[in-house]
Amino acid sequence: MGVVAADVRRAGSIDQVAVSVKDVGMAFGDVHAVRNASFDLPQGRFLTILGPSGSGKTTLLRMIAGFDRPTSGEIFINGQPVSAVPPHKRAIGMVFQKLALFPHMTAAENVAFPLKMRRHDARTIPEKVERYLDLVRLGGYGDRRINELSGGQQQRVAIARALVFEPDLLLLDEPLAALDRKLREEMQLEFRRIQKELGVTTINVTHDQREALVVSDEIIVMNGGAIQQKARPVDAYRAPSNAFVANFIGVTNFLEGRIVELTSTQAVFESNGVRLVGIAADAALAAGLSCSGALRAEQIRIAPRGGRLDDLETVVDGQVVDCIFEGDRVVYEIRVPDLAGVLMRVFDHDPESHLQFGPGDEVRLGWNARDMHVFQK
Amino acid sequence: MTGSKSKSFVLWAFVTTALLMLSAPTVVVLGASFTAGNIITFPPDGLSLKWYGAIAQASDLRQAFVRSLIVATICTLVSIPVGTLAGIALAKYRVRFARSIQIYLLLPFTIPLIGSGIGMMLVLGNMGVLGKLWPVGIACAVINLPFMIWAVTASASNLSPDLELAAANCGAPPLQRFLYITLPAVLPGVITGSLLMFILALNEFLVSLLLVDARSVTLPVQIYNSIRSIITPDLAAISVVFIACAGLAIALLDRLVGLDIFLKSK
Repeated sequence: MGVVAADVRRAGSIDQVAVSVKDVGMAFGDVHAVRNASFDLPQGRFLTILGPSGSGKTTLLRMIAGFDRPTSGEIFINGQPVSAVPPHKRAIGMVFQKLALFPHMTAAENVAFPLKMRRHDARTIPEKVERYLDLVRLGGYGDRRINELSGGQQQRVAIARALVFEPDLLLLDEPLAALDRKLREEMQLEFRRIQKELGVTTINVTHDQREALVVSDEIIVMNGGAIQQKARPVDAYRAPSNAFVANFIGVTNFLEGRIVELTSTQAVFESNGVRLVGIAADAALAAGLSCSGALRAEQIRIAPRGGRLDDLETVVDGQVVDCIFEGDRVVYEIRVPDLAGVLMRVFDHDPESHLQFGPGDEVRLGWNARDMHVFQK
Repeated sequence: MTGSKSKSFVLWAFVTTALLMLSAPTVVVLGASFTAGNIITFPPDGLSLKWYGAIAQASDLRQAFVRSLIVATICTLVSIPVGTLAGIALAKYRVRFARSIQIYLLLPFTIPLIGSGIGMMLVLGNMGVLGKLWPVGIACAVINLPFMIWAVTASASNLSPDLELAAANCGAPPLQRFLYITLPAVLPGVITGSLLMFILALNEFLVSLLLVDARSVTLPVQIYNSIRSIITPDLAAISVVFIACAGLAIALLDRLVGLDIFLKSK
């Protein structure tokens, strides 16, 4: 029943913008935590802001929540500017990094708190609390005190508290960062399920690229206070817009060189005398400029020295420095003398050939030009 | 093996001595109060409850005890709002001159009590309120306030700033945030501080001595006056009642917030 209602809500508001961030900046004195951030988020979408610590992603989230006021630009929620609106007057639910559950209240009292503060009809509160505890699969745990719950259960209470008053927007401030890997991956899927079920517009902040790829409809990659790319997860992975994004998402090799030839799509560059071809992924490229070609570790094929990699456009020889068995794949580190001895990382996912090479073995590497993205350096 | 054995022996001896020294005065007073004789002695000269009967009859002691309770209550009532707000402010907000304020708050406590007592005697004397009970309560609050502030600060500095933000995010305006979230979170500190203030005011001697007159003597002053004339076992008995009050406060503290919080000053 709840699912039907959510579907109707989503269908009725297709492409309506829920959150609009326009040229937002945050400066602490001379330090710009966020600069000129702009994006629109349609209703019902799950957006992840991905970036290293200090990239400004949490500051941006806090401004949307209303805890900090932008020093420039404006944030619109459902079309209304909100800079002058204090946090308690915004209809935003938030799950904090350290959860910030109220320690002197039970799980149910925590979930009931937003309803009481937002003056919901007292008679409907117990029923709503129960419904949302059920939603996060904590039915029957309402009377527990917070310190009597496990880490995962506390997460679920925090989610229920953020959602119970049916906010316009849900904010997640790295709430999964402190969990162990297995629980974290379980909770990522849980976030995804709940978000789909309720259709609530969600902004998630994380430094975990895997989480961003798994849970999001859209990803914003931030670095140094600026938005680097906004794209669907698959596009951010396959077509990074610059070297930072290419490096931050996935395991990427960078080959440095100088552009010798440029067409509208292809860039030919020379690295230590070797001609390499890739996709011109950066509008700022020009012949003669130094550049770097980004190549994912899983796009490289590995074969014995003299092996036939005829179907691949670029082939170089190298020597295995290290090989690491990771279960579902083997990670090779290979030194390539032709490319000034650069170390390249290569994933071998082929179960047949697992660990066929050891340190010191002479090997051959090959890849296709379409998998190499060339950026200005 | 032998090293750890001798070490544990030394430790045991040390702890036992310390415990004995700490409890000896209480044990002596307790024993002396049960004496059947007419002079204070330890071990007691026979066992009886007659001196407890005597203090129950002695109206001056009883009245002094009630006055001490009133002073302690006034002191506690004054220090709860003042100490709680000051403690939260010092722990949570970046108050300008926070360090100077802390040192300033310590002043009445760090300068010799006799000094601050005389100062207060002059001020209160000028105001013409010497001999009333409420100035004594306020004086005790002023002198011991750092204890209240320490207790609250210890609770408040453990408080995550996210908690108030989370309350704001839940839709709580500033006053509700304070009442529903901040105050309950620092409540252990407030209870600890209040009981501490109560006991300290109940026991306060030096400042009371300077601020009371014959009509308003508090119990410690009354005991002191009696000692100067004649030492009888009823003083031991009233001391035991005193100790029992402190014990009750500590039991209450343990019950309400847990002594571990008090000891770790959490």
